[in-house]
Amino acid sequence: MNMTEALLPKSYHAAVERWRDFYLPDHGFLEASWEKHFPREPRPKLCAWRECGMCGVVECGERKGEAKYERVAEMPEEQARHLFAMIRAQASTEFGSIQQHQLTLSRARDEEEQVWVLRMMADELRHGYQMLHLLVEDDWSAATGRGAADLVEEILSIRTGDHVLGAFNVDFDSFVDNIVFCALIDRVGKYQLAMQRVSAYAPMAESMPQMLREEAFHLAAGVVPMRRWVERAARGSVEIGLGMLQKVLAKWVPRGLEMFGDERGGGSNVRWGFKPTRNAEAQEAYYQELGRVVRDLNLRYLRARLPGLALAEAEALLARLEAERGSERGIRFEELLRLPHREFFRRRGVPAFRMVGLDGELFTDREEYVRHLARVLPESYLAGRDFHDYLQQLDRVVRGELEPGKAAAQSPSLRRVGGVCPCSRAVRWVVDEAAPSAGTTAV
Amino acid sequence: MDRRPRVDPGAIRGAANGVDEPVRVRPLDELDITAVADIAERSGGPRDAGFWEDRVTSFLRRDPEGALIAEVGGRAAGFMLGEVRRGEFGIAEPTGWIEFLGVDPELRGRAVGRLLAEALEAHFRARGAVAVRTLVDETMPGVAAFFASLGYAPAPMRPFVKSL
Ligand SMILES: CC(C)(COP(=O)(O)OP(=O)(O)OC[C@H]1O[C@@H](n2cnc3c(N)ncnc32)[C@H](O)[C@@H]1OP(=O)(O)O)[C@@H](O)C(=O)NCCC(=O)NCCS
Ligand SMILES: [Fe+2]
Ligand SMILES: [Fe+2]
Repeated sequence: MNMTEALLPKSYHAAVERWRDFYLPDHGFLEASWEKHFPREPRPKLCAWRECGMCGVVECGERKGEAKYERVAEMPEEQARHLFAMIRAQASTEFGSIQQHQLTLSRARDEEEQVWVLRMMADELRHGYQMLHLLVEDDWSAATGRGAADLVEEILSIRTGDHVLGAFNVDFDSFVDNIVFCALIDRVGKYQLAMQRVSAYAPMAESMPQMLREEAFHLAAGVVPMRRWVERAARGSVEIGLGMLQKVLAKWVPRGLEMFGDERGGGSNVRWGFKPTRNAEAQEAYYQELGRVVRDLNLRYLRARLPGLALAEAEALLARLEAERGSERGIRFEELLRLPHREFFRRRGVPAFRMVGLDGELFTDREEYVRHLARVLPESYLAGRDFHDYLQQLDRVVRGELEPGKAAAQSPSLRRVGGVCPCSRAVRWVVDEAAPSAGTTAV
Repeated sequence: MDRRPRVDPGAIRGAANGVDEPVRVRPLDELDITAVADIAERSGGPRDAGFWEDRVTSFLRRDPEGALIAEVGGRAAGFMLGEVRRGEFGIAEPTGWIEFLGVDPELRGRAVGRLLAEALEAHFRARGAVAVRTLVDETMPGVAAFFASLGYAPAPMRPFVKSL
């Protein structure tokens, strides 16, 4: 593969390094453990990589076949504003996920799993850097009314609770969240990056291939530990059982689905050549793939429960258990993982605030629905701010005070973040060359 | 959109000899581990799912486009894992090493292996390799014949081994 490598101007590069020292304090541990876990593999590097030799013409939409935009100034302002929002959202997810992972990283029980997550966090930092590079390299002032320093500062100042996409505002409760997040939410990232690979804005398209290569590992860093856990559970370990994994799936699957945007939207992206697929179609493909994740884990579980079972036999057994919902050879259907229904516990998009249960059952009574949620979601999550806010909004929707579509937009932002020191609010990340030293300007 | 977005746009399609459905070669992902382990197991390879979890994860980390899977009718038919390295065993030229391969025993002899090798060689070339090398177990004559058919010649280098 042929790539160019670039760095941000010094003050911005230093800003990202400061951010890293603050939110990813374990990067030194990663450096120190690198040879042990990843011998002879290249070390993480804070830089922007762009792929050479990609398709130079717009691949979908109204301008299909015409030359791609090389500069923001070449595109109509409305499109530039839209593209800016996409880059900002992407950057926000990259930096946001690091803040979330950091909360529970230290609770990993296994050093390899921990170092995998840490390496993934270092990649996410590079992804955020790559997005900042897009904003700094081009002139976005006409589209945003702001200069590069402001844009960078604003993105680096976002904290859990203020992120553009809901999944990045949900706190992690244990290391199980770190792993399930990789398997589920990074998978959304894979879809978004794969779609943006065709972007009519060439610098965006060229940023995607290396990010996608890195994403391939992030998904493995989620799925492989989950496979190991279900295998151990099948052999009798009580540490991370399928019951717990089921609850964590219930916590994250709805958030993953919502990251694709409203099921009715995505038309502008396609029309303007920024993505080849509308939201609903991409979300459906993602949901099908989640089905494969769950199936894979169930097969692993069955084969560990019944050693000697060939894959084809395990597939047949799984099919029977799912069809009959009964039990066979000592394994009950209820023991297995199931993919939450696509309308379960949603607060955005078409099914927002419909009272749909884990298996798609419809509730009409608010109390009954909340009891159901309490049964199927992780206990630690029930105690958190995110669930509290959901309940408040649900009440207003049920009382008719709030339209479901509007409720999501009015989500109060989180008022606290665990794990990191609140004084980060008062740090200015981008420091002018002339300014005294790191600092004190409140944002 | 394709059911699953692919890292590599260069996935190739070819109608294999005697197989009605076309063979599709694409980079594999973490959800293919089960299929890889199954094909390997049925080919007499390691029976340990954990072994394949480690190996595949390691490839996905280092060079995800060098880990390929072939599908026929949406089902895994074979896999091939390799990587470009320089300086291995004193070989200075950038070399693509084919490390693991396997074709479903029920689908052998239908060009699945050939299509996998061609796709992997193309990837090696794109990564700057000037040669491709592999080690063949002499107790598996079919594998040697397979590589010979693809234009590979025995190299003047023999592995030596000693138990520790
Ligand atoms: C070697 C192997 C990959 C071949 O796969 P395949 O899909 O059957 O091979 P193809 O159909 O693409 O054959 C390509 C060429 O190799 C030749 N070939 C393949 N297997 C052969 C055999 N057993 N004997 C002689 N020639 C053979 C074919 O005739 C064909 O030649 P042609 O194109 O000139 O007609 C497959 O047999 C295999 O998986 N073997 C076991 C590998 C193993 O043990 N793996 C363990 C896990 S690491
Ligand atoms: Fe990322
Ligand atoms: Fe990621």
